[in-house]
Amino acid sequence: MIYEDMGRRLIDTDSGLVDRAIFADQAIYDKEMAEVFEKSWLFVGHESQIPDKGDYFLSQLGREPVVVTRDAKDEVNVLLNICTHRGMPVCRYDRGNAKLFTCPYHGWTFANNGDLTGVPLRAEGYGAQLDRSKWGLIKARVARYYGSIWATFDEAAPSFEDFLGDMAFWLREFMMAPDGEDDGLEVVDGILKCEIPSNWKFGAENAAGDLYHDVSHKSVQRVGLALTKLRGRHTWDADPAKFKLLNITFPAGGHAVRGNLYENPGRDYQSQWAADPEVDAYFRDAHYARQKRLGEKERLLNRGGIVFPNFVYNAANRTSITSWIPRGPSRTEVWKWIFVPKKAPQAVKDAMRNYLLRYTGPAGMVEQDDFENWGSAQVGANSILARRLPMNYQLRLGDHARWAWPERWIGEGALVDEGVSEHAQRIFYDRWAEMMSGTPQAFRQEAAE
Amino acid sequence: MTSEASQNILPADTAVATAPTLKERVEDFLAHEAELLDERRFDAWLDLLDEDIHYWMPLVRNFEHGRPQDEYSRPGVDAAWFDEGKATLRQRIMQLQGGDHWAEEPLSRSTHMVTNLRIVAASDAEITVKCRFLVYVNRREEEVRLFIGKRTDVLRPHGGDFLIRKRSIFLDQSKMLFKNLTTFF
Repeated sequence: MIYEDMGRRLIDTDSGLVDRAIFADQAIYDKEMAEVFEKSWLFVGHESQIPDKGDYFLSQLGREPVVVTRDAKDEVNVLLNICTHRGMPVCRYDRGNAKLFTCPYHGWTFANNGDLTGVPLRAEGYGAQLDRSKWGLIKARVARYYGSIWATFDEAAPSFEDFLGDMAFWLREFMMAPDGEDDGLEVVDGILKCEIPSNWKFGAENAAGDLYHDVSHKSVQRVGLALTKLRGRHTWDADPAKFKLLNITFPAGGHAVRGNLYENPGRDYQSQWAADPEVDAYFRDAHYARQKRLGEKERLLNRGGIVFPNFVYNAANRTSITSWIPRGPSRTEVWKWIFVPKKAPQAVKDAMRNYLLRYTGPAGMVEQDDFENWGSAQVGANSILARRLPMNYQLRLGDHARWAWPERWIGEGALVDEGVSEHAQRIFYDRWAEMMSGTPQAFRQEAAE
Repeated sequence: MTSEASQNILPADTAVATAPTLKERVEDFLAHEAELLDERRFDAWLDLLDEDIHYWMPLVRNFEHGRPQDEYSRPGVDAAWFDEGKATLRQRIMQLQGGDHWAEEPLSRSTHMVTNLRIVAASDAEITVKCRFLVYVNRREEEVRLFIGKRTDVLRPHGGDFLIRKRSIFLDQSKMLFKNLTTFF
């Protein structure tokens, strides 16, 4: 096979070079589905989507269709949505409430915890010999983390906590309310789903740490989107306090975060929602409550990041989660969940929802231009001639990144670079290459030493 | 063809003299509106929108028989493709007009078709119109989008013409099959 040793041949994170074939080649795609997606913990949804017993929604675990349920014992299940008899999806509604799922082909019936409860002709047809306990829906391992639901079908995968490593701090922080309360978000009903003509990695690596594609969003900066009555698209644009812009990466898992670290603790609240006094008052109170709750760590502003391989979140009032679901080397389904603070007044929820719907997804004024970029980048990935040169990820290549810098509490396993850099993308591809080839790359080796 | 036949097609004394019905006026208005979008005369299009317009396109879900309430996301509460007022529609148009909104630079070519038009309620203050739409969008070389669905418009008489007070757009696809929604409906 041509790509037998693809890890080392296609990715060289020491020199910052990535072969374009990894975005376009079918054999590489098939292998990454098996080696990366099927062996990772993947996000499927949020507990607020299934508040009551019997609630369910359809989701995707990589390329596998699943149904996520809350059963009679209040347990959350992630079930392969495929009848064990003839392979039909047993649930065909995007969401709902059901105790049972019955396959429309031959009527095999499964409880919402996956158990096979009914088989027509069981007595006469199978002579009562069919062991129903062996023919339930295939169940994934499930992890719940501050409201988020994760799963994998791989029995050999490490625990979710080990998979997450030091990234846990950031994921937990993302799921907090603006006032720093744990598990403080709820999903706005309705997942935005669309399809883009590009490889899944373009969107994923962008979220890891691409901090210099501002030219893409010039039109939004010009028109203004943030509710500060100022130009710009982020609510934090209004904050004049000094900060370091950090690319915080976790080479062990391939995860990465973009964050502001403010120089001084206890900074004053800067009005970020001046267009609406009630909303502004909520965020002012939340700002000071968060300072109290988080102590020293309140100096961090979580801007967003990625849990390897395909879970992307936007933080700092743009609270959304994106799942990059591969559908082929040059086709990706994008699922987007948007969140508002659970306990906030309705006016705040409305303001956040309005801001987010204008920001995110295929109708979002910001992400329209992102999707355009990644669709266009696929042109270069598909070009055989362009493949004479690898993709260049050399921005700030060298010895800039430092362990647990500039504060040790960011995490012992954090390798941090400051400012505009492609450090985080190199970590992302380093981890990808390791999973694809079994061979640790530059940063992994360094992490082990 | 005889000259008699052509006289039957266009009797000079009736076609011009007959005042258009309300339905014909509404049809003309919506055709004109569609043309403004297709000719990219976005400022003129904005002028047809009431200051209080609610422009809404819900998400569509595959729903269980017996739970039709699940089909569309709810206005003002849930996620939606569009949930806009005039100010944000104006913002979106300003974004299109700068030459730096790359998802629409170069601008798309579009054709809006409006059909099956039916006035379902009319008073002096408001006219509610249902229709079907088909919007074809082509961009750069190969990007093609085809949007088909149902629309309910509430129009407000304004001078001799109308303003759009409310527009609800129900798309016939649950997953957006295209990468961008940069089109107005």
